[in-house]
Amino acid sequence: MGGRPLNPGEPPVFEAADLVKEYDDGRVPALRGISFTIRPSEFVSLLGPSGCGKTTLLNMLGLLDAPTGGSLRFRGTEMAEIRDPSDYRAREIGFIFQAFHLLPTFTVEENVQIPMFGQGVPRAARKARAGELLEAVGLAHRRNHLPVKLSGGERQRAAIARSLVNRPRVLLADEPTGNLDSRNSNQVLELLVRLQSDLHTTLILVTHDPDIARLAPRAIRIKDGLILSDGPYGEAAP
Amino acid sequence: MTFGTIVFRGLVRRPVRTGLTVLGIALGIGAVVALVGLAAGYEKGIGGQIDAIGVDIIVSNMEGGLMPKAFDDTVPGEIAAMPGVAEVTSVLMQILSVEDAPMLMVYGREWGGFTWHNLSLVDGRFPLDESEPAVVLGTLAAGILRKKPGDPIQIEGMDFTVTGIVDGKSAIENGSVIMSLPRFQEATGYEGKVNFVDVRVPAGSPPEAVGVLCEAIEARYPKLRAVRAAEVVGTSQGFRLAKAMSWSTSLLAIAVGIFGVMNTMLMAVFERTHEIGILLALGWRKRRIVGLILCESAVLGLLGGIVGIGLGAGALAIIGATPSVRGLLVPDLSLPLAAGALAMALAVGILSGLYPAWRSSRLSPGTALQGG
Repeated sequence: MGGRPLNPGEPPVFEAADLVKEYDDGRVPALRGISFTIRPSEFVSLLGPSGCGKTTLLNMLGLLDAPTGGSLRFRGTEMAEIRDPSDYRAREIGFIFQAFHLLPTFTVEENVQIPMFGQGVPRAARKARAGELLEAVGLAHRRNHLPVKLSGGERQRAAIARSLVNRPRVLLADEPTGNLDSRNSNQVLELLVRLQSDLHTTLILVTHDPDIARLAPRAIRIKDGLILSDGPYGEAAP
Repeated sequence: MTFGTIVFRGLVRRPVRTGLTVLGIALGIGAVVALVGLAAGYEKGIGGQIDAIGVDIIVSNMEGGLMPKAFDDTVPGEIAAMPGVAEVTSVLMQILSVEDAPMLMVYGREWGGFTWHNLSLVDGRFPLDESEPAVVLGTLAAGILRKKPGDPIQIEGMDFTVTGIVDGKSAIENGSVIMSLPRFQEATGYEGKVNFVDVRVPAGSPPEAVGVLCEAIEARYPKLRAVRAAEVVGTSQGFRLAKAMSWSTSLLAIAVGIFGVMNTMLMAVFERTHEIGILLALGWRKRRIVGLILCESAVLGLLGGIVGIGLGAGALAIIGATPSVRGLLVPDLSLPLAAGALAMALAVGILSGLYPAWRSSRLSPGTALQGG
C-alpha cells in the first residue's frame, strides 16, 4: 500500500507549546495552554470526556481550525505559516470521522478516489490506488455500492481507505468507532492498528473510551482544556 | 470517475429541483428564440421581398403609424420625372382578412410595373388587363386559402377570380394576394390613392446618388419618407417596436432565469455545506469547490439553453403555422440565433453561479464540517 519509510532522524511531527483555543471572543475556552510533542510513526490516543477539547485539538492539527494562542509546529514549521492548508491536508493528513462522512451519491470506490482529484493523479492511477486500498480494508467486493448500502463497519472501513489514499504522514481519527457496535468497532480498531504498524503512519486517535485509548502505546488525557497526563495508558489512567 | 461525474452527481441529487431550474432557464431562452426568431423572420421576409422585386428606394407615409398611410396616386408620376430616377411603380398594400384567412397581405400593383416582373406563374395565368376582376395568389397564400385557378374569391366584399398561382421568390410575396392597382383601389375605397412608391435608380448609380435622391424626394414631399431599400426594415417603426418588445421580454425572461439558477445554486451550497467541509478536509482547494459550483451552474444553463432552443423552435413552428401569421412572415431560427441563445444560457448559468460559488469559498472547513 506504499507506507512512508521510517527515518530515525526525522523531526517531531507535531510540537505544541502553550497551545490555546478560545471561542466567542475568549468567553469559551476550549484549550487552555497545552504542550506536547508527537514523533513520527507514533500511535497516540487523545482521551477525555465530551467537550474537553480533544476534537478542537484534532481540528487544529488538521488545519481545519486555528489556535488563538501558543505555538503549534508541524515537522518544525509553525503551522500558522503553512500557506496552503489544502495542500497540507491533501499531502500530509488523513481524516477519519466518527460519522464516516462518505459522500452519499458516490460509490465506495468513488469516495476513495475523491481526495486524489486535487492532486492531479491520472484517472487510471486513481482507480488502481482505490482498488488497492479497498482490497486492504476488505471492501473490494463492495466497491460499486453506495454508502447507504453498507453497514456502519463497512462505511468506516471505506472511510479509512479514503484517509490513506494520499499516503498521509498523519492519520487523525476522531472517535472512529463512536457510531459502531462492538463487533464492528473491534474490526475497525484492529484494522487501524494494523495499518498504522504496517505503514509507519502517525496515528492520533481521539476517544472517550479508555478501552480504546489503551490500544495506543501513549495516551494524552485531556480534561477542561488541559492535559491531565501524558504517557503509556496505565500511567495516564487515574 | 471524472470531475464531470462529480458535477453530474451534484445536479442529479435533487432531480426535481434541477429539472425545474432547467425548465425555468429553458422558458427564458425559448422566449428569446421565439421572439427574436419572429423578428428575424420578419426582417428576412421583407429583405427577401425587396431583393426579389429589385427596388432601390421605397417611398411611403408612415407618419408615426405602424401601417403606411395612403397618399395621392399622382405622386409616383411626379417622382418618375425627378432626375436620377430610372423607373417607378406604385403599390397599394393592406393587411386584410380574406375569407377564412384572418390576415393576409393584399397588393394592388400598377399594371405593367416592375413589381409584377418577379412573379413566375406556377399555375393558370396573369390577369388579362388591369380592368379584369382577377387576382393571382402566391403559392403560400393559395395553400392558406385552398384556392386554385378558376376559383372565386371575395375581397372586401367584391368578387374576384383567381386566375393564377405565382412564385414571388420570397416568403412575403408567396404569402400575398396580388391584383391590379385600380381593382384594389376600388375594392378598398382608396380610389386615387397608393401607399408605396417603389423606385429604381439607373443601373450602376453610386450609393451616394440613392441618398441624394431620397433627400430630394423627402424635400419635395415633407410628409413622405424615402428610404433606401436596404434600410427599410431597420427604419420601420413597427419592426423597431417589435424588436424592442422581443428583446425586453427576452431580457425579463433571462433575468428570471438568472435568479432561478442563483436560488438553486445557493440552496445547493447551503445544503451541501457539510459536504463542502468534507471535501476541504480531504484536501480539496477552495478554488476547486468554486469551480465545482460554477460548473454545476454552467451545466444548468447549458441544459436550459438546449431545452430552450427546442422549446423556441417548437414555438416558432406553432406560431408560423397559425392562420394569423402564415403568409405574413416565416419564423427564422438561424444557426447564429441558436448559437447566441446557447451562449446566453451558458452566461446565465455562470453569472448565476458566481455568488453561490463566492459563498462556498468563504466557508471555514471546520465550521462547514459541522454543517454550517
